[in-house]
Amino acid sequence: MNHAKLRSLGLDLPLLPTSTVGSFPKPPYLTEARAKFARNQMTRSELERLEKQATEFWIRTQEEVELDLVVDGEQYRGDMVAYFAELLEGMEVGGLVRSYGNRYYHKPVIVGEVRWPGPMTVDWWRWTQSQTSKPVKGMLTGPYTIMDWSFNEAYPSRHAACLALAREIRKEVETLVEAGTRVIQVDEPALSVRPEELPFAIEAMHIVTDGLPAYFIIHACYGAFETIYPDMLALPVDNLDLAISNSGLDLLKIFEKDPFTKDLSLGVLDVHSYRVETPAEVKDRIMRGVGVLPKEQVWVDPDCGLKTRTVEEAVGKLRSMQVAVNEVRSAV
Amino acid sequence: MEILLTNHGSYPRIGDAPELQRHRRAYAQFERGEIDESDFRRVEDEVIAQAIREQAACGLDVVTDGQIRWYDPYSHFARRFEGVEINGLLRYFDTNVYFRQPVIIGPLRRRAPILLPEFEFARSVALKPVKPVLTGPYTLARGSILKGGYRTVREMTLAYAEVLALEVEDLARAGARWIQVDEPAVLSHPEDVELVREAVGRLAQVKQVAQLILSTFFGDVAPLYQELQTFPVDFLGLDFTYSPKLPRLIQERGTTRGLCLGLVDARNTKLETKDQIFPILDMVLSRIGGIVHLGPSCGLEFLPRDRAQAKLQNLKALRDAYITRV
Repeated sequence: MNHAKLRSLGLDLPLLPTSTVGSFPKPPYLTEARAKFARNQMTRSELERLEKQATEFWIRTQEEVELDLVVDGEQYRGDMVAYFAELLEGMEVGGLVRSYGNRYYHKPVIVGEVRWPGPMTVDWWRWTQSQTSKPVKGMLTGPYTIMDWSFNEAYPSRHAACLALAREIRKEVETLVEAGTRVIQVDEPALSVRPEELPFAIEAMHIVTDGLPAYFIIHACYGAFETIYPDMLALPVDNLDLAISNSGLDLLKIFEKDPFTKDLSLGVLDVHSYRVETPAEVKDRIMRGVGVLPKEQVWVDPDCGLKTRTVEEAVGKLRSMQVAVNEVRSAV
Repeated sequence: MEILLTNHGSYPRIGDAPELQRHRRAYAQFERGEIDESDFRRVEDEVIAQAIREQAACGLDVVTDGQIRWYDPYSHFARRFEGVEINGLLRYFDTNVYFRQPVIIGPLRRRAPILLPEFEFARSVALKPVKPVLTGPYTLARGSILKGGYRTVREMTLAYAEVLALEVEDLARAGARWIQVDEPAVLSHPEDVELVREAVGRLAQVKQVAQLILSTFFGDVAPLYQELQTFPVDFLGLDFTYSPKLPRLIQERGTTRGLCLGLVDARNTKLETKDQIFPILDMVLSRIGGIVHLGPSCGLEFLPRDRAQAKLQNLKALRDAYITRV
């Protein structure tokens, strides 16, 4: 673990620090409220009151489970790219595009020069941190993924669009750091879609993180990481958070060949499965992780955001994860 | 020389306006058991007919059925073969679209014709020629998990080719003038180009007088251009959006096959301009005689419906302006 950096940031985390990837399920009353708000049947302040109520529930839940790092649970966000696209100047929410089966989403469009509109996530971070004594992670979507998941009508290339987004995302990161955020997670699930573009994804991440006093995590999931490994180790962050359980932990094999040189957040819960893993299963996944990497380099979390699970499934999975981590901690 | 405006394959099945969301609503009702399959198929038919009308209204010379019946390019075929189970979702190349992965458990056998009834329906409602499209044997094999029946990707590919040959034969016999085989996977596996040649060759054996189009997309085709020139097909479909060197390459080397020029970016909403398209046409058309197809770089389903229409209208405007200029 990048202990020195964490200590210099005033963070004293135990072995195998636990956290989550960011999103939690929205309780039914909030889903209903969001629909009402979209139909102009609810005021912004009433919606916000319910978002805070749900966020508070998740803060208390994370504290009860005894996770080491807390997230705000993204109760106020819909889609992870659309949320930022709606706020960033120069971006618009576009028309409906099919994702699979009968699922559609509004794909954003970069229509002009992108500009940071002022803090997009900082108020929620600050409010969440005011509700807990545990450190709260800052969470945002990365420039490469926002670029890849949007249409680009404004920039001459994907590269140019990505770097422009990176410069604006950096302003959000700077503001989070000024507010006191010490651990910041940048979500880049699109990272592996075009391996030949990894160099500029790395260039963009330099723009986002260089010289800033925070411990940075990149979260990526469900990609063909074997195609960008070990090159992806050049990403200028402290920790790579990878979905591993969904793929039967195959990913760990590639680390045996080329050692993983950063901290690894080991995804140990399959968020796409309804089934709540037992602590023994999770423990087995952790043990396989620490069998490949020094245990000091390993963090533990779910594969991805838990928002597609029910509240009960999400809480059950997190309890199993923390119980497993506690057992491993006392064993080693 | 004649420039035909030809759709690539898919077409958006819904639009943003509520009246353009019939398919989505019917699909949801069908999934909830509120309508039966024949009700759903009726809506599907109407949506296909509308998609075909829209393509023609935009000025296309050759249309497709929009692949509106397809769940995705893999399971649409594989779930109808014996020896296959359908697995979870996997990302479709570098898109934000997901497909259900076929799992091969035993020898592949076709239960019944897949594309023939779809082609016949599309043709019955279309005023323009309809081009049927199938996912190629190599791409199907690359997207499948092999659990039994075969030992290697090669065996699996050739087995898919055997069952797909029945599809091609049906379509050719029914009078399809063009039959398109999509093989995007070869661009990310150039080492398997000879296997793809062999598999596509199996389809070519049964195409009769139909013109076989081998379409590649989602990658740079330039490194394979020379090999593809000797494939047993009539046309090569080329995605120019990933391949900045392609126009020069065609200008230098010419072509032994007809070409389907995927010049309009079906992955981005921004409309192409004359300044972008005309220089490429100048380079490429200097080496082609006969019929050339001009169209989107890949299926249009990656765009919102109104943007897909705008792309096709723009395509027509560009073609007409180009012909006038020449």
